Amino acid sequence: MRPSVRVRLTRLVGASALAGSLLLPAAAPVTAADPVVLRVGTVQDLQVLNPWFSVVVADYEVYTLNYDLLVGFDINLQPTAGFADRWESSPDGLTHTFHIREGMKWSDGQPATAEDARWTYQLVLDAAASEAGYIGSGYLEPYLTNAGLKSVSAPDDHTLVVTTEFPTTLITQAYVPILPKHIWSKYTLSQIGDSSAKGFFKNEPPVVGTGPYQAVEWQPGDFIRFTRNPNYWGTQGAADEVILQHFASADTMVQALKKGDVDYVRGVLPDQFAALQGEPDIKTVEGFANGYSELAINTRGKTQGAHGSTNALTDPAFRDALGYAVDQQKLVDATLAGHGVPGTTIVPPYHAKWHVDPTNPRHFDIDEAKRRLDAAGYPLDAQGRRLDKEGQPISLRLTWPDSEGSHATDAQFIAGWFKELGIDVQASVTEEGKLIDDLIPKEGKGPANFDMFIWGWVGDPDPHSLLYDLTTDAIGSLSDSFFSNDRYDELFKLQQRATDEAQRKTYMAEMQNIVYDQAPYIVLYYDSELHAYRTDRFANWVNQPPATGTPLFGFGPVGYTLLQAAAAVTPSPAASPAAASQPAGSPAASASGTQAPAATSSDNTLLLVAVVVIIVVVVGGVFAMRRRARDVEEE
Amino acid sequence: MGGGYLARRLGQAAITIALIVLVNFLLFRAMPGSPERILLGRIPNITPEVLEAVRVRWGLDKPVFPDQFIAYIAATAQGDLGFSFLARGQTVVEVIGQRLWPTVLLFGIGELIAIVIGLALGAYSGWRRGGLVDYVGNGVALVLYSAPYFLIGMLLLLVFASGLGWFPTFGMVTRGQTGGTLDYLIDVGRHFVLPVTAVSIGLIGQYAILMRSSLLETLSEDYIATARAKGLSGGRILRNHALPNALLPTVTLVAINLGYVVAGAITVEVVFNWPGLGTLTVEALTARDYPVLQGVFLLLSVAVVLANLAADLVYGLLDPRVRT
Repeated sequence: MRPSVRVRLTRLVGASALAGSLLLPAAAPVTAADPVVLRVGTVQDLQVLNPWFSVVVADYEVYTLNYDLLVGFDINLQPTAGFADRWESSPDGLTHTFHIREGMKWSDGQPATAEDARWTYQLVLDAAASEAGYIGSGYLEPYLTNAGLKSVSAPDDHTLVVTTEFPTTLITQAYVPILPKHIWSKYTLSQIGDSSAKGFFKNEPPVVGTGPYQAVEWQPGDFIRFTRNPNYWGTQGAADEVILQHFASADTMVQALKKGDVDYVRGVLPDQFAALQGEPDIKTVEGFANGYSELAINTRGKTQGAHGSTNALTDPAFRDALGYAVDQQKLVDATLAGHGVPGTTIVPPYHAKWHVDPTNPRHFDIDEAKRRLDAAGYPLDAQGRRLDKEGQPISLRLTWPDSEGSHATDAQFIAGWFKELGIDVQASVTEEGKLIDDLIPKEGKGPANFDMFIWGWVGDPDPHSLLYDLTTDAIGSLSDSFFSNDRYDELFKLQQRATDEAQRKTYMAEMQNIVYDQAPYIVLYYDSELHAYRTDRFANWVNQPPATGTPLFGFGPVGYTLLQAAAAVTPSPAASPAAASQPAGSPAASASGTQAPAATSSDNTLLLVAVVVIIVVVVGGVFAMRRRARDVEEE
Repeated sequence: MGGGYLARRLGQAAITIALIVLVNFLLFRAMPGSPERILLGRIPNITPEVLEAVRVRWGLDKPVFPDQFIAYIAATAQGDLGFSFLARGQTVVEVIGQRLWPTVLLFGIGELIAIVIGLALGAYSGWRRGGLVDYVGNGVALVLYSAPYFLIGMLLLLVFASGLGWFPTFGMVTRGQTGGTLDYLIDVGRHFVLPVTAVSIGLIGQYAILMRSSLLETLSEDYIATARAKGLSGGRILRNHALPNALLPTVTLVAINLGYVVAGAITVEVVFNWPGLGTLTVEALTARDYPVLQGVFLLLSVAVVLANLAADLVYGLLDPRVRT
């Protein structure tokens, strides 16, 4: 638990800030020549500018500022104009034609055409056909391969024709940046997709793309700076520059937000989040995370070359019974400080369109769990130990990766609940790399040496990838519970090919229920994304999607392009009618009309400090010289 | 200074560095998990063949001893510390190089300020023992000595940055600022004040306390009594007889702390988001960027060894007794 010291300090400073703001001289006016800079803080560090190596959310955020997707995502996560401005599919759903807008240019002035898109998609096809079978970190090309991408051609500069193996709508959801052929085609597939290759293309700034902002300066571990793309085809938003600033400490980041040194922060800690509420000119936003944290179970037990402790793990009835002994609400309160919701199915409520509540929901009831274990053939012995079907006492290992320290709290609770069932649990943390090794099944020449672990998954704009993790096909790659269910696999293929949304949801609902009932994963919770932003410099912060999302770090640059200048930063209030007209229905807070005195520190202060320092030095020096002079006299 | 003394100290330092290189190699091979997994992460579509290819590319298919060891020694000797796992396509030397000078700047200046103020405060307290400065100064020094950097840093941040708004909350320079060199320097200066204050405040206590006790010990020596008997003034006794001898132990402390100029106090850098080696170490740890960590460890330990070597040599110059 966090110490309460900080809470007290925060209050103290609240008081001193008030006092200080009275003493400070008036803020220096912002001159019209200064670019309007949007400063965004994140505790997650950008790792790469070459988009194929994207792993963390910050990486994705950066490449969707630099580049367009073929089809973008609007504020409701619906397909919208991206590199292509229109598209249609053939009646059989196998041929998809994308119309690339005329006159579009890359940020360096070169024409941006269908040939660039063709080259990018062909690169993915080439990578999939290569020996490695993937490119970069391997997270991007599945968007196209899962959509069944078969061939791509550009009959003219404004037409891109894509064919797929099966009818699908996933092709308009591909999270793949369209890259400028005139720059990237100078490099081989391995120079683009293999960071240890000779001549590896790091894509250093200035980046050339068609996105609204282009990276011009990057200090790894520190910040990345973007400027407006002068050739952008759409509207750009009020910021002339965007800076993504990395913070090593979330505490410092929140202080920077309070002072106005940053405008937006992602990754606020729960207690800071509470403290930020009610701060002037600051608005907090709690969005659903597009993902979940789960208690995963080795469903192979001791079978098929796996090294679980007991074959009870292979029994859906046993796993289901365990589910009654997990109090998800308690975990939300203890681990997330209430910033989340208890988990049910593997499609999080972030996907309001696709998420369903389970048909047969479990509830926390230790006695019910005991009854179900008894009924399923797992009795207690004389010492109160739960026995498996071989008559051995059940003793389970429970672990979590060291990169996710908060799961230690979850593990303690779960171990306590399972002990009440007569199941002994050894809970201990595992170094992440070691855990990944332990999770590999025989298909990947690994030991599958674990019983249960706590970890999470993060999803895409479409729940497809979250559903894929539990297919039989995923065993040996993404599957870490080795769940295998014929009906689930069949439904997975059906939803992949379903072009009718209602039909697709029926498939997905059944899939969510299968996983819930069979419980290879017991979804613990859907945690929240805790963000906060200032309203005194920028206005019209819009959540994507409006009900469950956040203004930035969603899908694509839409949150940035909608930003308007708040009245306080415009050189003259009359000169900016845009700031006054907020779109109706926007969830964003209104702009503050006054500038916070504490937000800008004055150069006079620096002068004062400098003067004091100089006085100290001079006085000290004179004093020392006088002493020395006296010494000389004494000699 | 005798040649034997110099040679002996240099030899010891060389042996220590060789041991550090060895330990550094063993330490990172003893870590659980396999590096190729860290490299690839929880990546989809991974096949055993791909894993093997990665192992071959990074030289992990060869036995740890002697192949990997020899390769490591040979590369390290040439200043090649390998590639960062995290910053794709960047060498460890590049990654560390970008972060070295902010740390050296911060801790170099912080140290200097702390040495000047700390030694002066300690000397004055010792000389005017029982006086007001001694009474208050000693108490303050003890508090500062025991206060962790992050606490000092956080307090400064809360009060002077986000509270009073006098100084920026983070970083070394305001990004995206236009303006000339002078503006840039002023901006860096403003960012510099709080971190450097945190560093010096954290160090002043050590110097003051050591200087005070060292001076008190010296003042009780016979030769001070002799000097007094000769009728020398207080000031002369202090400067010509007491201080030079009392300074000796502080040389060691200065040297040890100078070694940590490179190490930085990780917590100060983290609190002020200073783009130095401290924040780099934290990033590399959380991302399990072993090559960078290995490089940082090597740099830090070599820096401490060299600083100690320097202390030994300076000591030899100052005090003839240790040269034997």
